This record gives sequence, structure tokens and C-alpha cells, in this order.
Amino acid sequence: MPDVREFLDKMDRPPTRYIRVNTLKTSRVELADRLESKGFLLKGTAIPEVLAVEKAPIATGATTEYLLGHYYIQDLSSCMAVEALDIAEGQAVLDIAAAPGGKTTFMAQRMKNAGSIVALEPSERRARSMSFNLARCGVYNTCIFRMNGTQAEKLEMKFDRVLLDAPCSCEGVIARDATRKTSHTPEDVDYCSNRQDSLIEAAARMVRPGGILVYSTCSFAPEENEMVIDGMLHRHENIAVEPFGHGISGLTSFGGIEFDGQLKKARRFYPHLHDTMGFFIARLRMG
Amino acid sequence: MMTTTYRRPTREERTLINRALDRWGAFDFFQDKVILVGDSNKGSRQVCLVPKGIIIESAIVQAQPYFAGLVLGQLRKQFMPSMQGADLFARVGRRNEYYVTVNKNAEQLVLYGRDVMGDSIVEASDRLGENEVVILLNAKQEAIGIGRTRFGGKSLLQKGKITVTTLADAGYYLRGEG
Repeated sequence: MPDVREFLDKMDRPPTRYIRVNTLKTSRVELADRLESKGFLLKGTAIPEVLAVEKAPIATGATTEYLLGHYYIQDLSSCMAVEALDIAEGQAVLDIAAAPGGKTTFMAQRMKNAGSIVALEPSERRARSMSFNLARCGVYNTCIFRMNGTQAEKLEMKFDRVLLDAPCSCEGVIARDATRKTSHTPEDVDYCSNRQDSLIEAAARMVRPGGILVYSTCSFAPEENEMVIDGMLHRHENIAVEPFGHGISGLTSFGGIEFDGQLKKARRFYPHLHDTMGFFIARLRMG
Repeated sequence: MMTTTYRRPTREERTLINRALDRWGAFDFFQDKVILVGDSNKGSRQVCLVPKGIIIESAIVQAQPYFAGLVLGQLRKQFMPSMQGADLFARVGRRNEYYVTVNKNAEQLVLYGRDVMGDSIVEASDRLGENEVVILLNAKQEAIGIGRTRFGGKSLLQKGKITVTTLADAGYYLRGEG
């Protein structure tokens, strides 16, 4: 990891807060005008819909605009996963482990509410919470199935785009939730890694030939990131990692293990370099 | 656990839905959209806007999702809009007498679920009767609530009296999430 001391310092400071403009209901200019008239100070980011909140005189989640669904509070890194999907209107998209729906609502707005999104979420509580977020954001091109990603084949469908934002050890969100420093153990990383292997295999089976699978986590651990993708590349000849224009290169070796050279095209996001949560993204094209 | 079974509306239900869409000035917008009825195990009938597309339609029919599309409202004897339905109608519909605009102060109160005083109504039609369901708009013409009139005509604007009862409001999302 580059600049470890800066990284550690950054992880102990409150993270930058971001909002994503919901273009299904408003525009970036309109929203910025309204929030700035209330004393907010906003700054643009690498994604046009995402604004950094530099000053907030009231809670970001308590404005009229928030209640009306004009924006969603979401980290920039999380939006990068949707950016990597390269979604177009009218496509069919599968979102695995979708709750609370931040990425789903971003997909829906990129699709202009056209096409269709199938979102999978096994927990009823989280699926219900997600339905609130979809409703608030005015999304109507989405269905939620209470289903684990490994059961996705039961749907008997193929998709143009599949997003697997895999359940992970969440090391990358320590700046937002310091309890993560002590609440997780190396055994958790192993557990997550095994589950991620099963999920990505299931996700890959859901992609149409020529379609894109985006795999992401909010973990720094290579066991949950490059090793998962490396395993896929070894097991499937028809999968290629595609470049993505944000973040820095994925690892090509770790702990004496050499990974497939394509892992250079995977992307890592670090708090001290990109002012985001820790994040990993691999964009895979299915042959 | 709540479960919902999705199906196409019956002819009678379709008539009720069409009347409702017409009432809110949004009939044209929905002509190329797919509307399903979701029967919940708790007895309600939800009217849902779902995407047009082979993938979703077959998914809904075959696999029955936990939740589909956007709930526009509920069918009882009549159609009662949901908050998200009101929001969509206000964005795509033609304004008519069933929309009532309130001032900024009332906007904040409505978002806390409070009723509307006559003196805080900025715009309402003379043709509006008593006991009518209306969509409450803020000054920017965004739906902030759903109300029921306690008076009709010019009496709706009388000072010092609650003239519209708030039935639902956009603040519910925040309170409901908690």
C-alpha cells in the first residue's frame, strides 16, 4: 500500500461525506442551488452526479430535498461500482446483495427508469428498507427478490449487466465505523473470501455472453479481492478483466503469490489517495 | 411476514385505476406503462407501476418478487394514491383542481404530518368540494403530502381553521425508515 502513514492518519479522521444527485427527480444545478441557498457548501467529483459535502448547516439526511428523494447519501467509491457497469437505457441488470439500494437507485437513474433491474436481497428487513429507498427515489424499473445470490439461477434469466457488491469484512469503512477495527478477525476474512468465491461463480452464470460483471467490495484484503478474481480467471478462459479509468491498479502479487497479470486492470480506492472509503472494483467481460 | 402476489388488474380494477389516473391528470403518461395489482396477505390491493420488459414481466409472473416497481396507491372502494404515486402524478400530470399548493411554513408542518390551515394555502380551485382527496404541493410544485379537504370552494381558504387534513406526507420516509 502506498504511503501507509498517511493512510493510517486518514482512517482516523471523519470521512468526506458525499451525496448523489437523483437525476430522476432533479438536476445537479437545481439541487446545488437549493442546498447552497440553505448554507451547504458542495464540490464536484470525478462522477458528475456525485457532490462532496464540504459544509452542512443541518443534517444531510434531514432536508426537504432529501425527503423528496432529490439525492441519496452515498460514498463516491460506491458510485464507482455503478460507473464501472457502463449501463445503458433498456438493459437488463442483476444486482446481487442489493440492499439498502444505493447502487440500485443509481443504476435506475442511469437507465432513466427504462429497462429492468432485478435486485436480490435475502433479508426481509433489508429488502423492506430497500423498498423505502426505491420509493423515495421514484424508481419503478426494479423488482426485489428475497434470494441469496447463489440461488440466482432459479430466476432462469440472463442479464446484460450484473453487479456483485459482495458481502465482505468491510475493512474499508473503518473511518466511518471504528468498531470494525476490533469486531473482525482474520477468520472473518477467510469466511468472506469463501462466500465471495461462491457468489462470483453464481453471478458469472447470470451474465449474457458479451455482458459485463462488476465485482466490488469495501475491503482492502487481497483475499477478498484479487484472489477471488484470480480464481475466476484460472477457472474460466472466457473471462477478461477490462480497464476502468478511476482508482489505482490492483495487486499482481501478495504474500509470495503471483496473480494473473490482468489484475493490473482491477482498481483499488484508498481513503488517503482518493478521499473515498477503501474499495475494490474489477470489471469482467464475459466471452 | 408480508407477502404480495402480483397479477394483472381485472377489468373493474382497470376502470378504477384509469379513473384515478385521469383525476390526477396523468392518464396519458401511463398509456405505454405496465400496471399490476399486488394482493398482500394483509388484505390490501396495491397498484404498482412496473417496467415494460420481457425480463421483468416474466420474472414477476414466474417468480413473484418480494416487491415490484413503484406503488402508485391502493385500491379500496376507490383508488387512494400513495406518497410516491402522488410524487409521480405531480411530476407528470396536468394540474387540476385536485392539487392544492401551500406556503413554505405549511410545507415544513406537512412534512411533520401536521394538517393545513386555510391561511397557508397559496392556490386551490373554487371547484374543489368537501371531503375530496388532494395532493399537497409546495411552492415548487412538488408533492409533499396527500390530504382530504374539510371544506369546499372558497371556504378552503378561511383563516384560522384547519381546512385540509393531512393523510400522508413525504416525511414519512424518514420516520418510517427508523
